[in-house]
Amino acid sequence: MTSLDVTMTVNGRTVTGRVEARRTLADFLRKDCAATGVHLGCEHGVCGACTVVLDGCTARSCCTLAVQADGAEVMTVEGLADGTDLHPLQEAFWARHGLQCGFCTPGILLTMRELLADNPDPSEEEIRESLSGNICRCTGYQFIVEAVKDAAAVLRASSADRG
Amino acid sequence: MTEQHLPPGLIGARVRRKEDPRLLTGRAQFVDDVALPGMLEAAILRSPHAHARIVSVDVSAALELPGVFAVITGAEVAQACALPQPVIWRLIPDQRMTDLYALAHDKVRYVGQGVAAVAAADRYVAEDALGLIEVEYEQLPAACTLDEALADGAPLLYENWPDNVSCRQTVPKGDVATAFAAADVIVSETITYGRQMGTPLETRGAVVSWDPFTDRLEAWLSTQSPNLARDLLGEVLGLPVERIRVRTPDVGGGFGNKFDFYGEEVVAALLSKRSGRPVKIIEDRLESFVANAHSREQRIEVEVAAKSDGTITGMRGTVYGVLGGQLSTVGIGPCWAATVLMPGPYDIPNVEVTVVGVVTNRSPYGSYRGWGQPKANIAHERIVEKLARELGMAANDVRRKNLIAPDKFPYPSPVFYYDSGRYEECLEAAERAVVDRGWAKRQAEAAKEGRSLGIGYSFHIEISAIGPSRILNQAGLQHSGFDEESVRIDSTGGVIVRSGLSAMGQGIQTALAQVAAQTLGVPLDSVTVLTGDTETNPYTGYGTGGSRGAALGGGALLRASTRLREKVLRVAAELLEASPDDLVISDGRISVAGTGVGGRSVSMRDVGDATYRRLDGKLPLGETPTLEERDVLDPDNTAFSYGTTAVLAEVDRETGRVQVLDYLIAHDCGTVINPMIVDGQLHGGAAQAIGGALFEEIVYGPDGQPLTTTFMDYLIPTASELPAFETVHLTTTADHIPGGFKGMGEAGTIGGASAITAAIDDALRDLGVGVVQLPITPPRLLSMIEAAEAGGTATDVEEQS
Ligand code: FES
Ligand code: FES
Repeated sequence: MTSLDVTMTVNGRTVTGRVEARRTLADFLRKDCAATGVHLGCEHGVCGACTVVLDGCTARSCCTLAVQADGAEVMTVEGLADGTDLHPLQEAFWARHGLQCGFCTPGILLTMRELLADNPDPSEEEIRESLSGNICRCTGYQFIVEAVKDAAAVLRASSADRG
Repeated sequence: MTEQHLPPGLIGARVRRKEDPRLLTGRAQFVDDVALPGMLEAAILRSPHAHARIVSVDVSAALELPGVFAVITGAEVAQACALPQPVIWRLIPDQRMTDLYALAHDKVRYVGQGVAAVAAADRYVAEDALGLIEVEYEQLPAACTLDEALADGAPLLYENWPDNVSCRQTVPKGDVATAFAAADVIVSETITYGRQMGTPLETRGAVVSWDPFTDRLEAWLSTQSPNLARDLLGEVLGLPVERIRVRTPDVGGGFGNKFDFYGEEVVAALLSKRSGRPVKIIEDRLESFVANAHSREQRIEVEVAAKSDGTITGMRGTVYGVLGGQLSTVGIGPCWAATVLMPGPYDIPNVEVTVVGVVTNRSPYGSYRGWGQPKANIAHERIVEKLARELGMAANDVRRKNLIAPDKFPYPSPVFYYDSGRYEECLEAAERAVVDRGWAKRQAEAAKEGRSLGIGYSFHIEISAIGPSRILNQAGLQHSGFDEESVRIDSTGGVIVRSGLSAMGQGIQTALAQVAAQTLGVPLDSVTVLTGDTETNPYTGYGTGGSRGAALGGGALLRASTRLREKVLRVAAELLEASPDDLVISDGRISVAGTGVGGRSVSMRDVGDATYRRLDGKLPLGETPTLEERDVLDPDNTAFSYGTTAVLAEVDRETGRVQVLDYLIAHDCGTVINPMIVDGQLHGGAAQAIGGALFEEIVYGPDGQPLTTTFMDYLIPTASELPAFETVHLTTTADHIPGGFKGMGEAGTIGGASAITAAIDDALRDLGVGVVQLPITPPRLLSMIEAAEAGGTATDVEEQS
């Protein structure tokens, strides 16, 4: 099996590694970069638990090879809080009970972060639509939807503050 | 009815969960995040055939692959184990047991059954090695469906059995023959419930380290039942349990699937012993669809005798459980529960129900949230709806006629005593909420636009707080039903609760912290709840299932904390030179009642210091140092929660597609510890019920090959398919449980399908469609609609209604 060198930025730190061509980005992040907040729920691209931000867009790290991310900037859920200040989405999920087992949560947080960047004031239907690529088996989604609405309001207020 | 009312405080408060910061920041530790020095990763070779004899297994090429450390075959597993895979629910004394080991060695009986396993440097290499194992099979004719398995001359899964029936038992109450002979009306129905599974988003996994020199075994299991798993590992591997430590890291959803004890745990242990290294087995999603417990699949025949005013006088039923190729840990348990709970919330004097367990060449039938109750529910609710149509009554009027009245509790059902409830009030609460939400108007307006909306109800009961141990044992359970909790205040006044329950997303750590904090009078922040380690934590009987955690754990902890509070007061009394009777605790400070702010007080920290460190002159003579209490709650009875589900749904007659538009649950689970958590549990359960009613089915081809092996084929509802949920709460406390708690973890899954089918029937009432097959997928519903539109059925039922 051929091995290749990869270099990427993971949550702001540069990491290099030598990986087999078949190693998934998810395995590389989880096992070689200790980013165990990347979760594997299906490894076939449906559940969204493995979602990471790859060069600014969400991607399914189970269906991406580590070598494909060579030179990329990667963010995982570990990079979402600002120091020990939770991101407004994390705060809202906590306040609104938007998680139970938490296995889907990292992927959902990153997906919703992307939604709110594109659409700061989404309707319930837009939130549900955007959520529908992520499976949560625990919550029934309603409290997730409410949390996203709350976080959107907080983010709008803070960007208004910044002017 | 005397009711225990707790003063308002943290019990009943909508507080944020203690579990969440770790989960939100990627700092949780799930089983696949456990990494030990030298750890190997394993993979399991699984049968490609539904039914075949294993002629030979050649692992030599696999063993030679670089990076492979150990390989084990089914024959070797059988040799290494003291006992076959255990079945803990032995409810039917003459049941034929399957007694198979963690891997197959003589025959395979379902696609996906493990045949051999490899431990290697990593999973990639382990999977490469599986490709090098050669197994020669002699294929056998298979019995893949219930009908095939029951047919005359069916292929036998177990050649020493006369047929494929593992067990049959009839449970009677009263005189059912007379009731049917005297009935004004008899209605019957046959319901087919499809095969489904709990499908936690985290698949199952195990990391096991077995030190071959000391025979000490350390396991990290993604399990709901750590103490049970430890005892069963001991039995199967022939090890004394004091050498076994089971830890449960964060569990990414359990839903019953992770209650059961699987072969992978045993295989990981044996591979570890062989290789001398810790071994991790993580089931991937594709494996999960064949190796994880399947559930729900039953054929249910139900029949009731009634008077013309709607009073039900008798019920007969037969449940055929489609068990799969071997018995799971819970054996006939869920099918038995579906059977004995078939009368549900109704006061039916004469009942005769029969369970028949049938083995088939499918994956084993095990636990899934609801555990038989969704099927009991669909049986009694479908038949009530049908009876109402037959009599020209509203279904809720038939329900009202038959619901057990509040003064009849404790109520003797065929097997269980239901402890308490105000069923009719609950039904009415739901009816009022439906009026408030204007569903009838929405339905009428949609009708004007040519759209078909329907409103459906169901009433469910839920057995919770599973115990008491001796009665469970008498019923055949090879395990107990109590729960033990411990609570300790440390030298600085912090509180540590230790529990044997598993935290799997249901918020048990927060719920227990609320109980301890309120009882001790300390801030929630000062309480830490530790779960997930059999070596340091108390013993819970059964496991974290049967909706027992909050009720029994909460009850035991309430008692332990109450005693600990008394000791705190005695120590504080010494410090304050007052009588314990004059003291109050609030927010971690103990003060003399009535002295107000600025009066004499000491903190929990002062009490901790006086008890652990600087005792002289502070700890009352005769008091032992330390502040710790434990309590064991083995309840006198189970506790029955209950609820009404109401659904507004739209049916598209062109496509057969059903959209659930609105969803309401009126619910009573006794004293609520955290309403936010309760609502979350109800929502999540309802989502699973909707999935099970409309989308989810494990489908097999005629040759016994599973056809649903990815999330593209097994359709779990996403946010687009689900409605918003509304909940309404009643509180009827369980007086035999300290605190009055009842469990509710399974509630949402129980009544959902019944309410949805009723709503579909209502939307199509002009056609007289009555749904009796689940899930009611678009093609299935469309063919019912087309059949009804084409002919007879519609008019027949028109006349009845
Ligand atoms: S694990 Fe990548 S989409 Fe499910
Ligand atoms: S919280 Fe468990 S899968 Fe979403």
